[in-house]
Amino acid sequence: MSTAMSGTGNQDSLKDAATPSDLGRRKFMLAAGWGVVGVTLAGSTYAAYKFMFPPILYEPPTVFKIGHVTEYGLGVDERWKLKGRFWVVRNMRGIYNMISICRHLGCTPNWFPDQKRFRCPCHGSIYDVHGNVRGGPAPRTLWRGQITKDPVDGAVVVNTVVRLDPNPSQTPQGLWVKEKVKEIKPFWLEHSPPPGASCSSNRLLC
Amino acid sequence: MENKVTREIFPRDARKSYGLVELMKGSNPIVKKEPEDTVYTWPNLIMIELICALLVTAGLIILVQFVHAPLRSLADPSTTPNPMRAPWYFLGLQELLVYFDPWYAGVVLPGMIIVGLMTFPYVDTNPKGVGYYTFSERKFAIFNYSFGFALWWVTIVIGTYLRGLDWQWYWPWSDHLVHMNPALVTLVPLHIVFVNLLHVSKDVGKALCDLLFFAYFAVGMAIPYFLMRKFYDAMGGARYVVFMIFFLSMMGVGLKIVLRLLFNIKYIVVTPWINV
Amino acid sequence: MLENLKEKLTKSQVFRSIFRHGFPDNDMNRAYVVFSNVFLHVHPVKVRRSALRMRYTFCLGGITLFLFIMLSVTGIWLMFYYTPYTGLAYNNIQDLQFVIFGGNLMRDLHRFAAHGMVLFVWLHMTRVFLTGAYKAPREFNWVVGVLLLVMTLILSWTGYLLPWDQLAYWAVTVGTKMASYTPFIGQNGPWGAQLGFLPTNDIMFMLIGGTVVGQNALIRFYVLHCVVLPLFVTIALAVHFWRIRKDGFSGPL
Repeated sequence: MSTAMSGTGNQDSLKDAATPSDLGRRKFMLAAGWGVVGVTLAGSTYAAYKFMFPPILYEPPTVFKIGHVTEYGLGVDERWKLKGRFWVVRNMRGIYNMISICRHLGCTPNWFPDQKRFRCPCHGSIYDVHGNVRGGPAPRTLWRGQITKDPVDGAVVVNTVVRLDPNPSQTPQGLWVKEKVKEIKPFWLEHSPPPGASCSSNRLLC
Repeated sequence: MENKVTREIFPRDARKSYGLVELMKGSNPIVKKEPEDTVYTWPNLIMIELICALLVTAGLIILVQFVHAPLRSLADPSTTPNPMRAPWYFLGLQELLVYFDPWYAGVVLPGMIIVGLMTFPYVDTNPKGVGYYTFSERKFAIFNYSFGFALWWVTIVIGTYLRGLDWQWYWPWSDHLVHMNPALVTLVPLHIVFVNLLHVSKDVGKALCDLLFFAYFAVGMAIPYFLMRKFYDAMGGARYVVFMIFFLSMMGVGLKIVLRLLFNIKYIVVTPWINV
Repeated sequence: MLENLKEKLTKSQVFRSIFRHGFPDNDMNRAYVVFSNVFLHVHPVKVRRSALRMRYTFCLGGITLFLFIMLSVTGIWLMFYYTPYTGLAYNNIQDLQFVIFGGNLMRDLHRFAAHGMVLFVWLHMTRVFLTGAYKAPREFNWVVGVLLLVMTLILSWTGYLLPWDQLAYWAVTVGTKMASYTPFIGQNGPWGAQLGFLPTNDIMFMLIGGTVVGQNALIRFYVLHCVVLPLFVTIALAVHFWRIRKDGFSGPL
């Protein structure tokens, strides 16, 4: 047995006796064998893992041309929620958009104009018109998408993949972010308030 | 052997290579069974199983005459049905997600429940109560099982009957078609309560919370060790630690739900990375 | 004449090659019918008389198995009309519900048998717990049973997406988003972002094959629901039954 394994040296020995060098070699062969098995397993695991990640995606569009700022009134506008899954919000200083994906587990919150709140039907998260968390289990503020002006025709372009996600740590709850932290380019467009609008009647949008 | 019929007539013994064979008159092949107490599987047991299967089939066919599998409108990412209820067996999970952050309620806790269930046979050292229904011989084990699943069923009942539009709390007598105003109370982390009550700084409040959290586990671990030595000795160190971690976590989940519902506590422990 | 034909048939070489014993009207053939049949031989040839009383097991495990078989059968029928494509899936289900003969019955049976399976797995587990049947030497079979419970739940969940209706979409959106909170390997989980996980490379992306629940998610869940998980459940069931036979029954069976 040992002669077959070692090949040379103790051809004449019929007993299963192994010299120290034999033992070392067997140990090495064993380790090498398991090494090959391990490398093969690791390689195929990695290949399987890689296989599950498609490098090409066919997903709904994420860039929308939403017209001019003047087409939107003060407050939350829901006209793009169906098509683009975002709200357009215009306040006294300008315009921004918020992605209508709940930061908790991805449901679409509903806007309640009477309560001035976004409320999620899945686990009861509540956001205010700025996207700050006012209740429920949501861990972060609503995302704001990129909003820019088309250089050719001046229309507003929203990109829902480029998202603003400031770290909320400005309240004891750690869930509110000051408006001026969020009203930065390219997630906000400065614009004069619509004619006749006053700060006194729109406290929240001021 | 004549006067005492044990359940196992010929006890198996790993150290013996021989077996006891009995020759007797009759037409039945019998192995390791009392001769007079056995019946043929076919047709006796097979018929029971067949009847069972037929009853289940009949029951299901009758059931689907009255209730049908639901089919809502086509999937639409822009609108979530309100309220969005998970299937009943996941309602417990959905309800837990209200009380805990998703990494805990959605991932760690279900994982712990699964692993905790798997550890049952390894931490239950009570040799009694095998093969028959008993409560008196296994009070603690049955209490644990019932408590865990009571939590599960209670959250299912809450999710089914006490949650309505916007996943708000609706009593059975409140109008389930009217959107309730969100509660005016704000959920606060525990350390803010300390800051307000004890007039300490925020960091001290946080340290108190951390202390409380670890004290819960430490005291919980210690009490049976010192006061119920028999319990500890029966289990041994490793089993004891594994069991107590799961037991205290389960109790902690119940405790946190009570704290949330009664005192509007959002988190016990707040760290920059995780909140519990 | 008819008797003669029956005699000829049952004594023929073909019949004898399939059924190696006569009709089980005597003890020897009753033994044969159980241990010479691959399906029946999960049973012992003889059982204790007390095993026939239902008040120990209440047949709960057996009902669970039967519901699994029923789900497989009704599921296969449904597969004849179902296309795992977001543009067709919902229409296929509507066709099954309103147009195809028996389609509604198959769909209803499939749905309620699934509910029933979850319920009966739980009842069976409770029975096993209450009778202490998981104690040594049956510990491992309890572990296999817990795995079966988990697989039952995942089967239900993956099946939920297939009709591609609102319930399906949101149950799976929420469920997979939860995966993105997994510590260390999810984009939203603790230490996930720090380790470099993004919406395009984390565990949720792997589950649904995209950043939102869409076509890739549907086909993945379809494959899991119809092939992968039933296969795993079948393997686990084989182990589960095998261990019952090897470790013996706990009760008066």
